[in-house]
Amino acid sequence: MNFLNQIIQGVLLGGFYALLACGLSFMFGVMRIINLAHGSLAILAAFLLMGFCNYTNLSPFIGLLLVLPVMALLGWALQFTVLDRSLRAGPLIPVLSTFGVAVILDNSMFEVYGANSQSLGPNIGNLAYNSWNLTNTISIAQLDALVFVTAVVVLGGLQIILRYTALGRTIRATASDPAVVDLIGVNARMVYAAAAAMAMVMIGLAGAFLAMRNSFDPYAGGPQLIFAFETIVIGGLGSLWGTLVGGIVLGVAQNIGATISPHGFLIAGHLTFLVVLVARTFGGRIAWRALLPKRAAS
Amino acid sequence: MKKNKVFLESIKNSAPKNSTPQAGVSRRGVLGAAGAGVAASALSRSAYGQTMAAAGPANTLKIGFVSPRSGPLAGFGEADPFVLGLARQKFASGLMIGGKTYTVEIIDRDTQSDPARASQLTKDLINNDNVDMVLATSTPEVTNPAADAAEAAGMPFLSTVCPWESWYFGRGAKPGQPSPFKWTYHFSFGVAQFATSYLASWDTVPTNKKIGVLSPNDADGQAIRAHLFPLLANAGYTIVDPGPYEDGTTDYADQIAQFKSAGVQIFNTFPIPPDFTTFWRQAAQHGLTRQIRIAEIAKTGLFPSQVEASGSLGYRLAAAAYWHKVFPYASPITGLDGMKLANAYETASGKQWQQQLGMSMALLDAGFAALSQSGDPKNKAGLAKTLSTLKVVTTCGLIDFTTGPVPNVAISPLLNGQWLKAHSGPYKLSYVLVDNAEDHNVPVTHKLLPYH
Repeated sequence: MNFLNQIIQGVLLGGFYALLACGLSFMFGVMRIINLAHGSLAILAAFLLMGFCNYTNLSPFIGLLLVLPVMALLGWALQFTVLDRSLRAGPLIPVLSTFGVAVILDNSMFEVYGANSQSLGPNIGNLAYNSWNLTNTISIAQLDALVFVTAVVVLGGLQIILRYTALGRTIRATASDPAVVDLIGVNARMVYAAAAAMAMVMIGLAGAFLAMRNSFDPYAGGPQLIFAFETIVIGGLGSLWGTLVGGIVLGVAQNIGATISPHGFLIAGHLTFLVVLVARTFGGRIAWRALLPKRAAS
Repeated sequence: MKKNKVFLESIKNSAPKNSTPQAGVSRRGVLGAAGAGVAASALSRSAYGQTMAAAGPANTLKIGFVSPRSGPLAGFGEADPFVLGLARQKFASGLMIGGKTYTVEIIDRDTQSDPARASQLTKDLINNDNVDMVLATSTPEVTNPAADAAEAAGMPFLSTVCPWESWYFGRGAKPGQPSPFKWTYHFSFGVAQFATSYLASWDTVPTNKKIGVLSPNDADGQAIRAHLFPLLANAGYTIVDPGPYEDGTTDYADQIAQFKSAGVQIFNTFPIPPDFTTFWRQAAQHGLTRQIRIAEIAKTGLFPSQVEASGSLGYRLAAAAYWHKVFPYASPITGLDGMKLANAYETASGKQWQQQLGMSMALLDAGFAALSQSGDPKNKAGLAKTLSTLKVVTTCGLIDFTTGPVPNVAISPLLNGQWLKAHSGPYKLSYVLVDNAEDHNVPVTHKLLPYH
């Protein structure tokens, strides 16, 4: 029974990881950028939301209506000031420049907001700790359920946008070849800017739920980036539903690890990540070897 | 081998600084001699005289102050600018020691919560700023590397707020053997103080004496597991320990299930602060908090913001204090007692008082008491000797190095406190003391209330 509970909690945790990772995954899928400022940007959204809630005394969910557009604008600005310039300089530069953005953001947030750890948990009242008790040992936290549903809705919505809208088609085309879409009259830079704005909306959502679920401080972005990164590597870089699968695999692995030994929580997650990474690399090499004789023959 | 290492270190340390040639030679002489041991003690003493003469203007006292002001430990350093400001204001017109007036310069450095940086900053203070003493505070990540750097350079050093076992044994001292430290001193609470304050206050709430403990796999967590939990078990409590977990864990379903099935009514934990917020919310989601009568947290819950993060789940959490504003002792430097110090801080900063405020003040109190009592603060060996027998009443009470558990260490008290919902005033929470077993001069106005 306890084991079943661990798996259920792991799946719910996976929903959180998927929400945390989808912005990172989307940005990589479209722009081929590993955004190392991902975690710091999520914390920035959390601070913006907290500022709004403390100022107005309104619910964080109302605050999101304001904070998400602000994040989208920030994404737009980030694209034109940092990402676009660094993309032109080669594949490594965006990694370095987003790392720089992370350092600047972390320390600026420390200057503005101080070192205190904050949480939006108190602002959402009972939702922070209410749960449905299925049995004596299994209960589902309402907040966890909300996070999971949000993750599914975000990923589903993203898929609908990409598949059925003009913007989605342009994004997909630009993702596969930015040089060619430029030739046929699409401004790849604007498409990238739109993608960055969408990614930032997802990051904003992730930051909001992180702030409700856990506590955060100006330097809390780094660990979140690690979980997000592991999620998208397990799920397959740039794959949408893979992100959800990756999150669930990571969350379940961590919780099963914790059942075996309390040490096991993080280790199990990291091990799963490594195994998937090695399997992908190894699998890739076999495919590459299989190609070699063909080329030699032709 | 060791001699070579010390010698190389001395060359490295003296190379980059802009001092007179004699100073460089003499420092090399001191450290080389220290490595060479007893035979060279006479040489060492004569070389020492030269260093003293060369270390900055003879009538200026330079004090290094190392603490974490940014990074994850920044909560500890939050009140330091205020406390340092008070001291600088007080010493603006100089400090009279042994009939001579010295200009006082306090040089504060931020470790950015990085142990390597704490070590580097201390070396820099010693070699480039030519300080006469180094003070350091808050967590082993600051005090231990800073103390090691000071010990290696023969610099009088005093630190606080780090369990003394971590500071003393964590730096290589062995139980039952003479202290290996000549220059570095430390005053703080230890594991025994946790046990005393817990046991003294827990009795007021009837429980089944079953403690669920959550202690991570880090230096503090493992030291507590090895030393504190046996003391609690000896006092008749049953310990339910699911075992060490890693810092940064985001889901605690397994530990919560174990605590629930064991029926624990007391909860005790030593986590990093963000982990506690996550754990406690999950404990509430899964119904654990409804069976907890006493929730005793440590390492987190020191500062108001850490408890506010738990919202209404933070009310009635118990957490021990190494200083509280009801401490009656007046600082020998500023003359302010606890209440006045806390009020001055709240007025100046607009923030609620916090316990590190008093301890940073106490560190300055004790450091300057040693400088005064030494008679000649420019004599480093004399200053270190004064530290070894220092006995002074500071903001946090009596610091007495003559009665410490080991040489180089003095004990400061730890009293249990509880966070309550504030019924008036600008702040969300009020923090009250529920125990004074370690120091009966501190008034206790509240009894521990059951968490649920």
